[in-house]
Parts: sequence; C-alpha cells; structure tokens
Amino acid sequence: MIEVKNISKSFNNNHVLKNVSADFVPGKISMVIGKSGSGKTVLLKSVIGLHTPDEGEIFFDKREFTKANMKFKRQIRQEIGMVFQGGALFTSSNIEDNIRFPLDLFTNMTKTEKKKRVDFCLERVNMEDSNKLFPAEISGGMQKRVSIARAIVLNPKYLFCDEPNSGLDPQTAILIDRLIKEITAEYNTTTIVNTHDMNSVIEIADNIYFIHEGQKWWEGGRDDIFYSDNKELNDFVFASDLYKKIKALAK
Amino acid sequence: MKMFTIIGKYFVLMGNVFTKPVRPSIFFKRVLDEIEQIGVDSLWIVAIVSIFMGAVLTLQVAINFEAPYIPKYLIGLSARDTMILEFSSTIICLILAGKVGSNIASEIGTMRITEQIDALEIMGVNSAGYLILPKMIAAFLTFPVLNILSIILGIFGGYAVASFTDTVMVYDYLYGLNYAFVPFYVTYSLIKICVFSLIITSVSSFYGYYTYGGALEVGQSSTKAVVYSIILILLFNLILTQLLLT
Repeated sequence: MIEVKNISKSFNNNHVLKNVSADFVPGKISMVIGKSGSGKTVLLKSVIGLHTPDEGEIFFDKREFTKANMKFKRQIRQEIGMVFQGGALFTSSNIEDNIRFPLDLFTNMTKTEKKKRVDFCLERVNMEDSNKLFPAEISGGMQKRVSIARAIVLNPKYLFCDEPNSGLDPQTAILIDRLIKEITAEYNTTTIVNTHDMNSVIEIADNIYFIHEGQKWWEGGRDDIFYSDNKELNDFVFASDLYKKIKALAK
Repeated sequence: MKMFTIIGKYFVLMGNVFTKPVRPSIFFKRVLDEIEQIGVDSLWIVAIVSIFMGAVLTLQVAINFEAPYIPKYLIGLSARDTMILEFSSTIICLILAGKVGSNIASEIGTMRITEQIDALEIMGVNSAGYLILPKMIAAFLTFPVLNILSIILGIFGGYAVASFTDTVMVYDYLYGLNYAFVPFYVTYSLIKICVFSLIITSVSSFYGYYTYGGALEVGQSSTKAVVYSIILILLFNLILTQLLLT
C-alpha cells in the first residue's frame, strides 16, 4: 500500500501540488486523472521520488520514503515497475537486453534463468519472438508492451504507468488496459495510472483521483463518476457529446 | 550567480558519479563499450589529422628556415617538440572535444529527454555513476594512447615530407629528432591529455545530463559541451604549462 499524506510541491513559486493525500491499495488500479498541467505527472513523479515534495510524506508499506536517504530509496525503487509515456526503452539495446537489464543488475540468476524469465515476460505481453528487435524497429504500441514487460520482470510490488495509452489507436489502447488489469490482479501490485483517456478509466479503474489546479478535487469509484455533481469533474470527464449521452443514459 | 550555480551542480553531479557501481561485471562491460566508442572510434581522426599536421608543420618550418646559418636538423627538432608539447595533447583534445564531447552530450541529453535516465533511476540505478563514470574511465585510459599515436604519426608525417620532397634531407630530419630530446616533455604531454580527457567527458556529460526540453535543447547542450570543454582545455593548458614547465 502506498500512502500519500498532504504533499505539496512548487516550482519557482508556482504551486503545482497543494496538500494532496491519497491511499493506493494493492490489487487495485488507482487512476489519476486531470487536465494537462493539473499536476498529475508531478504527483506521480513525487511519489516515485523523481521530485522531492516541499511538504508531506509518502509511505511504501509503512516505510517512509520522502525523507529516506538515496540508498534506501534505491532499495524501494527496485520494488517499483514503471511504464513511461514514451516507453523509455534503451534505444541502443535490443528488446531482450532491455528486459533483462534489471535482472542483470539485481538478481543472481543464471543466463538460462534470465532468458526464461525474459521470454515469459515477452509472452505475457504477446511479444514472443521479438527478442532481437531494437526499439526503433517496433511500433509505439509494441514499445509500450515491451515497457510493461520490463516493468514486471522483477515481480514489482508497485506498478506506475504514466499515460500508457497516449498516441495509441483504440484497439491497442484496450489491449494495454487489459494487460495492466491482468498484471495487477496476477501480482497483486499497487497500480497507479496517470491518464487522460476516459475509455481507460471506464474500462479498468478501481479508484479514481481527479486532480484539479494541483488539488485532489474528487475521489471515487468507476461507477460514482456517472452520478457525481462535481462541476469540474463533469466538465473534464463528460467533455465530449458521446460521454454526455452516456452520462444521461446512466442517470 | 548563475555561474556559481552551474559550478555547484557540476560538483554535485561529480559526487554522484564517483560512487560504487551496482555490479562490477556490468560496469566493466560498460567501460569496454565506452573504450570502443570513445577511444577506438577516434583513432582514424587522430591518425589523419596527426599525419597531415606533422607533414605540414615540417614543410612550413623548412620554408622558414631557409637562411644558411640555421642548421637544417632544427626542422626535425621543431616538428618533434611541437607534436609532443602542444599538438598531440592540446590540439588533439580540442578536436576530440568536438567529436567525443558532442557525442556524449547528445547521447546523454537524448536519454534525458526520452526519460531513459528516469527509467534507470526508477529501477534503483545511480544513473550518473552508471552512465558517466565508464565514459570518464574510458577516456582517461584511451586518450594517452591516442596522444602517443599522434606523436608517432605526426613525426612520421614529417619524415614522409623529408623522404618525398627536397625541402629537408632525411638525415637532417632524423638527426633533429634525436637532438636535445627531453623525455619529460612526453610526461608533460601525457599529464595534460589525462586532465583534458576528464574535462571533456565530465563537462559534456554534465551538459547532457541536465538537458531539459526537446531535440533543440539537446543540440544546444551539445554546443555548450564543446564550447565549455574547449575553454577549460585552454585554461588548464595554461595552468599545467606554468606548473610543469616553468
């Protein structure tokens, strides 16, 4: 479980996050939604320690993370899997090397065991037989899948996804969503997904956090979103005519 | 004020660079890869520039030493000392600042803007140590080799001029090469290139590591890396010459 307690973050007197608290529970997908510039990426980066919050605390299974030294932070980070918006695959290495990288660094597995584990992860994301391809040789959707395979190779306790569906066609986006859902259930990971994609929210979210102007504006479940009277949330989620009709139908 | 911030950030980064690697075997492999990229891939440019500069240097000195009272063996001596004292260390490093420095800054800068450095950090890897230290070690080990190679090839370029033209006799050139040789000059040249190797790799890595934005900013970082490396090389050339030769 990840507990975020009253974190605030500002850059050059611009208050990007204001007193945000949230509890992210294992085995569930928590989705952070909000407009561009609302502060959701800063929230995600603060939780994983790429930004240091000005105030507040973050606990990973009761282990204080915010004020921990770098050595301890690196230990906790070995339990984290992260899927970046652009995939963040190492362009100079092939897919197999990309996925094997955390195994090389943090395990004492033999070559055969590592190969087996890499093949298993690639199979898990439906990318078998692509071991020797380079990131530049595969599509954006495939890169995301490889990124997921790399994120799960060490059996992470925590899975973070930063806009995993951006730039993907609807069918591939659904594939990625389902993959995240299956992995969360399979490994009982604490999964946090940053997204703009309302289809994803409707499809896989267990808990939703709506960030508006740096504050947690609304929190609830997937179904609650249809019945909420929160103006800013409705303006964001039901911006399109299609979603307005869906909300009317739901009501 | 901004300059002090940059200097402070540079030393903080260097503090992160010099830490114990996660896995010595992986680190050793990284050093070997960098030796190939930084050292071996620079051989051809160093070789070409050195041969031609040695040849041109010999020709120019020969043309200017036309007076009968100037001994002709001084042509060989000047070619040798110029190659050892200045060309094969300082000038070669100015060239390598362009080739190696821009390559390092753009490689690390691209890794930064495509979140590959963030990915390393999230995996629990000290990205500065993992990316930068192997480059510094590789340059520190290979640049002295390039230095010696440059000296030899530069002198060979001069020998080729003596052999194929009538500007200087081969005997005079060879006599000049052996005349009044000061072995410490080679040590001085090696010390300089070791210092310059660290300047080029650390400054270029610094500008790459702190790149924010997109492709345009990667280009700007690359340019800054080359410009500041060159300025620091010239500054340290002056300091080291004052310290070691006077």
